[in-house]
Amino acid sequence: MADELTPQVPPDQPRIGVDEWVASVEGKRERYRGPVGWLRRGWDTAPAGARLLAFVIPAAIFPLVTTEGNLFRYGLITLLYALLGLGLNVTVGFAGLLDLGYIAFFGFGAYTYGYVASVHTGHHWPAVPAILLAIAVAALIGFIVGFPSRRLVGDYLAIVTLFFGQAFVVFVNNGDRINFWPFNRTDLTGGANGLDNIDPLKLFGWTVNTTKEYYWFTLGAFLLVIILLYLVSESRTGRAWKALREDPLAAEVMSMPVNRLKLMAFVFGAAIAGFAGAIYGSVQTGAFPGDFDVGLLITIYAIVILGGAGSLAGVIVGALVVNGVPELLRDPNQAEWVFYTALVLLVLTKVRPWQKLVTVVGGTLALGFALVAIADAWFPRWTAGEPNTGKLAHWVSHWMLLPSHATQIANWAYALTIALILVLTLLRGWWRTIVMIPTIYVGAFAWENLLVEQTVGATRFLLLGALLVVLMNARPQGLFGTARVEIV
Amino acid sequence: MNWSLFWDLTVSGLTLGSVYALIALGYTMVYGILKLLNFAHGDVYMIGAFMGWFALHWLGGPVNPSATAWLVVVLMFLFAMVACGGLGVAIERFAYRPLRNAPRIAPLISALGVSFFLQNSALLLFGASFRDYDTFHLIGAKTYNYKDIFLSVPQLLTIVSAIGLMIGLTLLVARTKIGKAMRATSFDREAASMMGIDVDRVIASTFFIGSALAGAAGVMFALVFGQIYHFMGFLAGLKGFTAAVIGGIGSIPGAMLGGLLVGLAESYATGYLPQGSTFQNLYVFALLILIILIRPSGLLGKADVKKV
Amino acid sequence: MAATQPLLALRGVSKSFGGLTVISDLDLHVDEGEIVSVIGPNGAGKTTLFNIITGVYRPDEGEILLEEQSIVGLDPHQVTNRGVARTFQTLRLFLNMSVRENVMAVQYGRTKSSPFEAMLRLPRARREEREIRQRAEEKLSFFGQRLVGYRWDQPAYSLSYANRRRLEIARAMATEPRILLLDEPAAGMNPAETQEITELIGKLREEGRYTILVIEHDMHVVEGISDRVVALDHGVKIAEGSFDAVATDPRVIEAYLGLRKAETK
Ligand SMILES: Nc1ncnc2c1ncn2[C@@H]1O[C@H](COP(=O)(O)OP(=O)(O)OP(=O)(O)O)[C@@H](O)[C@H]1O
Ligand SMILES: [Mg+2]
Repeated sequence: MADELTPQVPPDQPRIGVDEWVASVEGKRERYRGPVGWLRRGWDTAPAGARLLAFVIPAAIFPLVTTEGNLFRYGLITLLYALLGLGLNVTVGFAGLLDLGYIAFFGFGAYTYGYVASVHTGHHWPAVPAILLAIAVAALIGFIVGFPSRRLVGDYLAIVTLFFGQAFVVFVNNGDRINFWPFNRTDLTGGANGLDNIDPLKLFGWTVNTTKEYYWFTLGAFLLVIILLYLVSESRTGRAWKALREDPLAAEVMSMPVNRLKLMAFVFGAAIAGFAGAIYGSVQTGAFPGDFDVGLLITIYAIVILGGAGSLAGVIVGALVVNGVPELLRDPNQAEWVFYTALVLLVLTKVRPWQKLVTVVGGTLALGFALVAIADAWFPRWTAGEPNTGKLAHWVSHWMLLPSHATQIANWAYALTIALILVLTLLRGWWRTIVMIPTIYVGAFAWENLLVEQTVGATRFLLLGALLVVLMNARPQGLFGTARVEIV
Repeated sequence: MNWSLFWDLTVSGLTLGSVYALIALGYTMVYGILKLLNFAHGDVYMIGAFMGWFALHWLGGPVNPSATAWLVVVLMFLFAMVACGGLGVAIERFAYRPLRNAPRIAPLISALGVSFFLQNSALLLFGASFRDYDTFHLIGAKTYNYKDIFLSVPQLLTIVSAIGLMIGLTLLVARTKIGKAMRATSFDREAASMMGIDVDRVIASTFFIGSALAGAAGVMFALVFGQIYHFMGFLAGLKGFTAAVIGGIGSIPGAMLGGLLVGLAESYATGYLPQGSTFQNLYVFALLILIILIRPSGLLGKADVKKV
Repeated sequence: MAATQPLLALRGVSKSFGGLTVISDLDLHVDEGEIVSVIGPNGAGKTTLFNIITGVYRPDEGEILLEEQSIVGLDPHQVTNRGVARTFQTLRLFLNMSVRENVMAVQYGRTKSSPFEAMLRLPRARREEREIRQRAEEKLSFFGQRLVGYRWDQPAYSLSYANRRRLEIARAMATEPRILLLDEPAAGMNPAETQEITELIGKLREEGRYTILVIEHDMHVVEGISDRVVALDHGVKIAEGSFDAVATDPRVIEAYLGLRKAETK
């Protein structure tokens, strides 16, 4: 290593001599039993049109049964995320390129639209040319960024795009006061204050104004993109993308111009992000530097990975979960319900057989009540804190220690929870069951005393980060991919 | 030419470059062995800065340290390095090791997740506001100079200890048994494991060393620039990355060279290029693109031939 | 004229990695309709030879001519488009794609329609898609009972080792090459399957009209199929001619025996 470390590809090849055994397990796939299996098989065999309807019908009913606010938070934003997810799915899912500057293309879309249609700049283009321009700009910039990186290994692309995303933020933050050629103090981006007063979309005399109208428009845009992508994915280009994700060298030797295909996927993704960006800019009537940060990048990655990279349907489900759950967490009372429901479901589905389940549930409850009783008798400070608002939190306070001035203790509890969870993954059998009891309790303690207060910010994002790690380790193919039962 | 400006920029560039070089070393070592871009590395560096801060405060704080300043600084370094080393080992064990034979993109995404998790855990635990090392009270404001070249104590400390750590690392890799095992593993992991090298242990050691260096870099940065916050790892990590790539990812001397180059480039850009203090990062980015176009395998890296 | 010009010709080709010379000053030619076998002990440079022909590696020296036109310096996909297709010794299928998709994907170079034509389902895209599918099924049918219809929609990773080798061949055929390069098509197969492969290679020439350059260790296979045999050792051609002539050539025997001695040590 002193001088250089020659990269080596890990061997990933079948071994000779296992032929008999191979033959005996031929055709083996991940199997599901019960209703899940039934649903899965139904889904797998349904024609593409029917699958799309399974999404369109609820999506079309949703605005009729919900409030304006919920339509915005759960409907419109989810759709926008899903649209963004579709683009990333081309780059990451189809072609296997790690594009970490993806959000910048979204930003370019929003800023381009804002530049040609806002009070801020005084231009007022109608929607169709403005959106087309946004798409073209994003695609062009995608081409420029992708071009130098295209010959390089995937890793380099990741670095270049990550840096590019950062460069974008620097650029828009200072785009109002660049004073050298060729910009010379033209106000391109509104600087740190962003572009405000962006026009609503004006389509052939129809101005998209209300949340509901935006919802319908975005739904239409989403359907258009998903159908077009489906058609591409079933074409020679789509197959070539999948092939190069599987094995770039074999793809190249098998007549596919890998570099050109990669660049194409990259530009496609950028174009879709630009489209989403234009809609986003008009939805929130502004484009602000802070909207295009790493948080959004991780959110979109989580969507694509959770759904299963390469799966179009997965993007929809991913967006619903990744946007929906944190939105539910916003309200502390709801957050309590979400947390404890998830916890109970997790324990119920993952702890088998019933003896262990009883031990875990009983042990955790007993531990909590005992601790509260002890604290009540001898250490009143440990129960002197205020329970969080809501009925559930009130019930929980009989079982959970709520110290006054909990910050310090809760910080330690948080660190301890992580350590315990990590230890759990190493343990097997009854040890695991036993350690699970304090893990759950300490985790719930950290939740009650620390995490629940930060659900809008840190908690939401650290859960997303953890989600990525856990998914990669437990189910890398996401919800909609099929696990590969590798034979060799 | 204004020489005093030039020397100021050079000194701060070298200081910054030392920090980047130490970060880049961690990237490069891990890449050498696992072919993995460890996105969480920048956040380990951030945690290092915080660990140094905690050590400082457990030792009585900058105004009333319970030992002499030098001892306090040494203990801060030690504590941050050990804590970060442990963190690095844990990250490898739980987030990367299970994915060692997965498709290449899987550990990358896992790394992204770890990075985000660490960042937001820090936000949750340490809050969003800046924390101050208050080096002024701890070490004083003394500067040394040779003609036009002025060096503050923390700058001197950073450059000297970075050089020390790099020499130590080079010796470790070149001379010791574990260093030999690391070289063997990075050359061919499978062959190494067949020759009786405990590959898991070697990888864990690599993570420990790389992360400890990042921890040291975090403390250095904080000593020089004073303020730390939960998001500081992102940009520093990015620059460390860039340094590793410019030097030739996988190459240890390359990482050192790349780090110094990036630090100097950033510093000179600030002083000499139009609106440099606003756009210095864009200039570094341009440098990265340039190097990648001209020499894709980096300054000291070798182009790799894939075996088919 | 056409009869005297070889389809593929290598003139003075050399390749080394670092200090290790893997192919040195090699001349080789394959005529239209011929089956040529390349034999040689492990590490003789046979796979490297394929990598050089297909453009994966660039030769340090020498010329490679396909129908009298140089293909040195072309990207692998361009070489394939000129009519050279290969299989991989180590098997490099697109494992997560279905069997049929594997064979469809490699027809990329033969087709032209852009993604936009696919989006709008324009006539050319639809026609090409039909043809791609037809050709894929035609090539897969070549393997008869071994790769029957119900397997076509299964992912490639579910195939047995022998079937993976067959799929590799089907995939190479689907690029409609003039010349097929097969890298150890019988490796890892049991005797019955090996026999089948021997017959299959004959059938490839008779029915598929392919010219074939094949690397093979199994001497029965080599004997059964070859018009001509070329023996390599340490990247040097040590013998060339009919199977009988090469198999009895003292240098070939020494190359193999020497190896065997080394192995038993
Ligand atoms: N990319 C490369 N870099 C360095 N050495 C290589 C490379 N590719 C092949 N070699 C070396 O070249 C020699 C010939 O390899 P090659 O794979 O061509 O042998 P082969 O004749 O196909 O052997 P086998 O019968 O085992 O398949 C070997 O010593 C191999 O290690
Ligand atoms: Mg070979």
